[in-house]
Amino acid sequence: MVWVAVLALVYLDFPIRVGTAAICAHGQECHAPSLADLFDRVIQQSSRVHGISSELHSDYEQYFFPSKNHIGKRKCHTYSILTPADKENAQRLGREELTEVILRLLGAWGDPLSQLHRSMTQDQNQDFNHYSSNKALEMSDMVHELRSGVTKVAEKMKLLGVISNALGYMSSPESLAPSSVSSSYERGDFNSIDHHDLLYCFRRDSNKVKNYLRILKCTTLPELDC
Amino acid sequence: MRRAVGSVPLLLMLFFIGHAKETRYSPPGKPKLTSCRSPEKETFTCWWEPGSDGGLPTTYALYYRKENSDAVYECPDYHTAGENSCFFNKNDTSIWVNYNITVVATNALGSNFSDPVDVDVVYIVQPHTPENVTVTVMEDKDGPFLRVSWEPPRKADTRSGWITLIYELRVKLEGEEEWEEHRAGQQKMFNIFSLRSGGMYLVQVRCKPDHGFWSEWSSTTYIKVPDYFPRETSVWILIAVFSAFIFFILTWILNLKSNSVKHCLLPPVPGPKIKGFDKQLLKNGRSEEVFSALVVPGFPPTTSSDCEDLLVEYLEVYTPEEQELILEEGKDLQEGCLKSKGSPSDSDSGRGSCDSHTLLMEKCGEGEGKEEKHQERAQKGKRQQKHQTGWEEGDVSHTREDVLSPDMSEGRVKTWPSVFSPLPQYSSRPLDHQGSLETARQLCLSDSLFPPPSTSSHLSYNAKEGLALGSGQQEFYLGKKQTHPSNPQSQPRWHLQAHSDFNISSMDRKQAASGLQLPGFRSTEYVEVQRVNQEDMVILQPLFSSSCQRDGHLQIGQGEDYSKVKGVDSGNMLLLQREVEVKREEEDGDRYSCDIQDRVTESCYTTSTAASSQVTGKPTSCAGTAMPVQEEMVLAANGYVDQNITSVH
Repeated sequence: MVWVAVLALVYLDFPIRVGTAAICAHGQECHAPSLADLFDRVIQQSSRVHGISSELHSDYEQYFFPSKNHIGKRKCHTYSILTPADKENAQRLGREELTEVILRLLGAWGDPLSQLHRSMTQDQNQDFNHYSSNKALEMSDMVHELRSGVTKVAEKMKLLGVISNALGYMSSPESLAPSSVSSSYERGDFNSIDHHDLLYCFRRDSNKVKNYLRILKCTTLPELDC
Repeated sequence: MRRAVGSVPLLLMLFFIGHAKETRYSPPGKPKLTSCRSPEKETFTCWWEPGSDGGLPTTYALYYRKENSDAVYECPDYHTAGENSCFFNKNDTSIWVNYNITVVATNALGSNFSDPVDVDVVYIVQPHTPENVTVTVMEDKDGPFLRVSWEPPRKADTRSGWITLIYELRVKLEGEEEWEEHRAGQQKMFNIFSLRSGGMYLVQVRCKPDHGFWSEWSSTTYIKVPDYFPRETSVWILIAVFSAFIFFILTWILNLKSNSVKHCLLPPVPGPKIKGFDKQLLKNGRSEEVFSALVVPGFPPTTSSDCEDLLVEYLEVYTPEEQELILEEGKDLQEGCLKSKGSPSDSDSGRGSCDSHTLLMEKCGEGEGKEEKHQERAQKGKRQQKHQTGWEEGDVSHTREDVLSPDMSEGRVKTWPSVFSPLPQYSSRPLDHQGSLETARQLCLSDSLFPPPSTSSHLSYNAKEGLALGSGQQEFYLGKKQTHPSNPQSQPRWHLQAHSDFNISSMDRKQAASGLQLPGFRSTEYVEVQRVNQEDMVILQPLFSSSCQRDGHLQIGQGEDYSKVKGVDSGNMLLLQREVEVKREEEDGDRYSCDIQDRVTESCYTTSTAASSQVTGKPTSCAGTAMPVQEEMVLAANGYVDQNITSVH
């Protein structure tokens, strides 16, 4: 019985993995989603990610640090990723680099978010963590999805000739490893201060990602909603 | 002289001190950063609130530090944004960078630092109001509507996607207080429907970035909706007029035919047509009084002189046809029953056998079971045809069940003409199954011994609590089984109702032999419930006509025709045994004891075969004067007697 179930699952799963581009019901004309659709999806996803990270961060702030403006000497582990800090720089960057920056950021946060979730679930003596660990897990999963989504957008853009194929980042997505700060993440010994800092950093980075994606969309497809 | 000189410095000092109090200088009070805002996420401004200036001219300076850098910078522009402000232009503004800002107030005496504030520009965006808000009236098939459109504030760069704004607008009629707000999302246009004809509307719009602050409301735009005739209103007017018209017509018709309508809707309630029945009493809700009013004092005769007459009067169960006759009679006598029930308000516990009341009760029981009677009648006829000897277990049981089971569910069993067990406080009498109505009557009487309410209630259902004829004897176990397992005698009120069919059938049975007849005839058999023993067995005893000392105590017949319930066997069969002639000899003044003794002496029966304990229980009370004949009739589980033995008279 178990084997049958497993086999059934595998067979059902198979087509899902194979083709992800087209979403169509049986008998309908199948269209691969357009670039605009893809952009809309990733932008929505990034908006949601940012929303959850904001919630978590403010929850932490209220729960642990009711005194406002507790921002110490915080150093986010993604500081080594150079990101445009204003509009002109962002626009000057160009689509390929902007895409690369986005992907780098998303790649840099995959592991730390999982570790955050793990650390939250382990720290079960606090009710807060129990409630927030679900959010952290959701966040972590969404970031992974977002990353794959943006990858697809990039591929589509390359396909359409919108951006050139000179996209170095794509080849080595996991190459980013800012050493000193991330090592603490790798160690896995978080406490709530670390959580708080991490959430602060991630909230900002998710905002960056969202903003860059919007810029990317409006420069690539200027007619829509911009 | 010296004194004068000495006092001058004093005076001077006083003077200076006094003067110094009026003009005191101090370092400035602590300034406070009130807010920082960015209108387009490219520049931002911070405002502060000065503290006290300490009486001296105070200057303010703003210093900031960027995240992860120790360099301290001063505010580049104190003037563009006005007094007590600092404006950061594009070059100085970095997004996603934490600014640590402090304001310092300085005067001649000192300086004072404000509390530092951390600012990230991306979270302090508050745009300007939307611009170019235009409202136009447009036509639709449903009527006019407003189309509101606007543009994002000039400075906010939404085109490049740098900033994303969502909009909100609000509308109200001129003169109203409450605004109607609508979210428009990212779109720059909105439609408003359901306008009042000829109304003047006010419209305002505002916006905010997805994470930021709402802008101010734009300046009000006025728009007047032209007059138009709303189509829906005209339809409603038509409908209203039409309904009013119909309403008037209906009223007029009703008026004309008021009488017949009244008669149709509110049919006159038939009043009770019972002689002596006082409607008022009934309305007052005192049923006891009502029933007592029906009691005729002289009826039934309380002397036992005319037992047989009474018997004659009420019960005659001979043949199927006669049975039906009797049943009908019973029905008719319901009133009589009612009457009789009213009378024994005396809690005469001793009475229970051969009491006229019993008779009446029985009839009442019969009357109650009217409905079943009909059923029974038909079935009886069937039965008669089928068997002559006894009761067809299947048939009877079937009917019985039909009769009983629905009632059982109600918690009461409507048995059909019933054998009531006489019981209120005393042990029940054995029901001697003679198949006689008289016996039933006796039992009926016992019911009458119950306090009036109970009796009246008894009227409504035949058995409040049932007698279990053996374990699991459903039909006989009327009412609360659960209460039964205990010693039935402990039950204050407990009466058994055997199906009158029971009696009748037995009569059938006997028919061949003797032909049951009314009192005076030997063949008439009465079964009386003597008692219920511990096993919840009905101990039936035939009634003997030999002595009718008690009121209405029906003693009839002697001889072999009596059958008593021997007990209930494991098959839920009621075992009857025929009693050899039983004569009641003794009689006490106390009816009850008379009865009991009689019963006891007459037959030591009982004990179902199922339970041996009963046998043991019985002998004690049994004087053993007469031993029951061994003939037995097996009562079907439903109370009908299934005759094992061929001939039983």
